Amino acid sequence: MKRNAQVWMRLMLIAFVANGLGPFGLKVLTERNLSAYQPQYLFYWYLGGLFFALLALLGSSLRVNRKEVALGAFMGLASFCGQAFTGLALSHNMPGYIAFPLTTGGSLFLVATAGILLFKEKVGPYGIAGLTLGIIALVTLSAA
Amino acid sequence: MNPGYLYTIAGLLSFSALGVFHKLADVKGCRPSAINALLYAWSTLFSFLIMMIFQHARPGAPASVISIAIPFGISASIAILALQAGIRHGNISTSWLAINLSSGIPTVASILIYHEAVNARKAVALVLIVLSMVLLWIDRSKQERRRSSAESITDAACYEKEPQ
Repeated sequence: MKRNAQVWMRLMLIAFVANGLGPFGLKVLTERNLSAYQPQYLFYWYLGGLFFALLALLGSSLRVNRKEVALGAFMGLASFCGQAFTGLALSHNMPGYIAFPLTTGGSLFLVATAGILLFKEKVGPYGIAGLTLGIIALVTLSAA
Repeated sequence: MNPGYLYTIAGLLSFSALGVFHKLADVKGCRPSAINALLYAWSTLFSFLIMMIFQHARPGAPASVISIAIPFGISASIAILALQAGIRHGNISTSWLAINLSSGIPTVASILIYHEAVNARKAVALVLIVLSMVLLWIDRSKQERRRSSAESITDAACYEKEPQ
């Protein structure tokens, strides 16, 4: 498939807005004094996501191969462990202004390094400047 | 050593592994819709097991909780699908940044909807997020232009070599 910068930017804008709205539900939950239902909230949150994902899958083919099942499981586990370990860190008196910048800024740095070293991705000077500013922005935002 | 640091490092490695798996799924030719569905299927199962076994909670919840959770969950699923599809057209290094920068959205939403105070750090971070996105866009466009001009040079060279 031919790479297309316009398509990439459009998809990234959708991912940017949709991913930003995703966790905002927790804030709504807290503001409505429903925090006690957080475990149920997370379950229904994932269920809502699964509902949409299945609808999107219907558009192609419902058949999945072994690679997709294995990678999907690893990704689900990694996503869940990331949330769970961050929660455990906070419950062990790790201040949020240390835990959040480390997990978000650090993962950005590691994934960018893996992309460049393992997958031989080319990032130009503007990209490197964007990555640096992005890491600074996230660390600043997490510590604000 | 405070175990909190170990958990933070484990969290950092888990999130990083997630980013690498997104790229790996693309390299292995997995379909974005299949990856998204399986990621959510497994995560739903994990969250259900944790809720039942460790938190001793029942799935029953007030309708208001479910009505908040489902649309926001759908929104997150749209994001994962767009990211996985987008990696085909760009790099994981910059795509992963774009999706992580979205933590500015709940901050802006909290300011607009719940009238949270905007301190200097938040304001600077939000400006940097916009700048970072613009730089990523310029980088991606420049790469595309370089690739197109390299392709046209190759095409021209092939055309010249063709026997008349």
